[in-house]
Amino acid sequence: MRSLSIVPAMLVLSGSLTFACCQWLIYSYAPTEATMGLTQKIFYIHLPLAWWALFSFFLVFVGSVSYLLKRAPGADRLCAAAAETGVLLSGLALVTGTLWARKAWGVWWTWDPRLTTTLIMWFIYAGYLVLRGLNPPPQRKSLVCAVVGIAAFLDVPLVFVSARIWRSIHPAVFAAKDGGLEPEMKLTALGCVVSFGLFWAGLLWLRKRQLDLRDRLDTLASAAQQQ
Amino acid sequence: MLELHRVARLYGHKVVFRDVSCTCAAGSITLLAGNNGAGKSALLRIMAGLSRPSSGTAHFTMPAPRVGYLAHATFVYPALTALENLTFWREAYGLDIAPADLLAGLERVGLAAHAHEHAGVFSRGMAQRLNLARVLMLEPDILLLDEPGAGLDADSLALLHQEILSARKRGACVTLVSHDLVNDVPLADRVLLLKAGKLAFNGPVTHFRELAGGTEQACCA
Amino acid sequence: MLRLTLAVARKDLSLTLWRGNGLMQALLLGLLIFFVFSLSQEVGENLSPQSAAAVFWLSSTFCQVLIFNQLYALEEVNNSRLGLLLSPAPIPAVWLGKAIAGFILLLFAQLLFLPAAVVFLGQSLHGPLPPAVAILLLADTGMCALGSLLGALAQGQAARESLLSIVLFPLLTPLLLAGIGVGAQIFGNPSPNGPGAWMGIACAFDAIFLATGLLLFSFIYAGEE
Repeated sequence: MRSLSIVPAMLVLSGSLTFACCQWLIYSYAPTEATMGLTQKIFYIHLPLAWWALFSFFLVFVGSVSYLLKRAPGADRLCAAAAETGVLLSGLALVTGTLWARKAWGVWWTWDPRLTTTLIMWFIYAGYLVLRGLNPPPQRKSLVCAVVGIAAFLDVPLVFVSARIWRSIHPAVFAAKDGGLEPEMKLTALGCVVSFGLFWAGLLWLRKRQLDLRDRLDTLASAAQQQ
Repeated sequence: MLELHRVARLYGHKVVFRDVSCTCAAGSITLLAGNNGAGKSALLRIMAGLSRPSSGTAHFTMPAPRVGYLAHATFVYPALTALENLTFWREAYGLDIAPADLLAGLERVGLAAHAHEHAGVFSRGMAQRLNLARVLMLEPDILLLDEPGAGLDADSLALLHQEILSARKRGACVTLVSHDLVNDVPLADRVLLLKAGKLAFNGPVTHFRELAGGTEQACCA
Repeated sequence: MLRLTLAVARKDLSLTLWRGNGLMQALLLGLLIFFVFSLSQEVGENLSPQSAAAVFWLSSTFCQVLIFNQLYALEEVNNSRLGLLLSPAPIPAVWLGKAIAGFILLLFAQLLFLPAAVVFLGQSLHGPLPPAVAILLLADTGMCALGSLLGALAQGQAARESLLSIVLFPLLTPLLLAGIGVGAQIFGNPSPNGPGAWMGIACAFDAIFLATGLLLFSFIYAGEE
């Protein structure tokens, strides 16, 4: 039995620790925003969630392409892990986004292009996970999921642009969300994104490894059955 | 005409069969035998190019052969008439056949009187005859049959056997999956036996008979 | 390739329109949606042009899901899918054939939905007609390109309709927004920007998913059981 790599655990741990340190940046280093006050701090959590969610979906796309080209089951499991992580993070990004909207604009939901895109992505990939939960013949499921994974990511820029046009046709009630960030704020946001990225990478790795191990166990079990 | 090299087929984690290598020659009939779940149909689908082997390669030695595939499912559209069904498949396969010849094709399988009836009212035997007409229209170089005789009456079965033999005469490479060894072994030139995930026998039918002690019933035991 | 495409399109149209109950289910569902939304109007009040356009596209989307589901179900009755796969023509020809059949059926349904919008939702046509027709055709093209690609994915699954809906609906968002945006203008809610930007989106969507369908269909439509 190979021993399991400790890298993912280290990633999660270091991500958590650095993100904890970022709390200092958020509350002491970065200035409090003039109009929104303390609520603006949500931004430092919202941003990394949204970014890494998007990156997870990009990984689903890459994994899907590579599955179609090489038919490696590992690529399919990467897609599964990335989609799950992405749906989780984008779900949290939506929650923080609505909190932000409530405080900043007085409504729970606005057709802000970024928020809308996140919502649509959440729907798309939640549907993708439903598809993954079904039980068609295994090879066929992987193929179908890979095709949907590719179509879904190609859709993302279209959703974003159309949400943007949609809003510009409506009276623009709300000003741009983060028009002018002060340099301290930028640095803090960057720190949060990077440290959360470590956590994300660890999480993804652990989930992928879990799926790999499950696959190996299934293989061993069916080999044992056949003998 | 058809070559398989170390073909394996997995279903999820389960190995259906592996390491199957064989060739099927022009003008011969190969019988593919094995118990339920041995993967006969899966192997035939790989031969037809309908599914990819999990590993290994399957290819035709001639460029762009016409592949005829006849299985238990009849490929018939119930809401179309027999002739419309045939016309559709002619278009789908890009064949140049005159309408009169399509009727002649129906005649050949004994369906000429039913050419303008909806296939939905056909019995299983008639639908399978229509399916046979579709395959014959192709004049296939490679004819793959997956227990096409299941549920057919004696007349239809005789017609099927006759057409299989004339396909061989024409130089087609025929592979036949069958349970009915008593009836089908006499047709065959070669036998492939799938057993316990492997190709347990691959050789001429006479040799197969000797191994099985002369009786067809014992062949699969 | 073209021959297989035309054969599939022609056969599907004749099977759907002239044999069997065909389009009825999809049409009734669409019309019911119009009726239900007409209940949201108070007495003497009409739905806003934008809401009406949204209802129109909602009906079209549901209708399209049912259409493609049915088109692909035709091949499963006696496993004719395998027969199509054995054709020497490239497999995406089937995708194109089904997309064309679906496109015509969808247009046919929308021809009924438009008067339904006028009758039930109290709309009248105001805006210039050419851009309206253009966006209708562009949006339908994209919907059918994607619908035909994903219509095949649910083959052999229980609850195919709902599965197809949850995967397809969010992906169609850009087209729906474009359709609703221009539709609102036609029903009398003019916008300074005009339909130009929406045309662009619809064109981009069509280009991307026509290419995707052509490239990826043969992976989804296969002989695996």
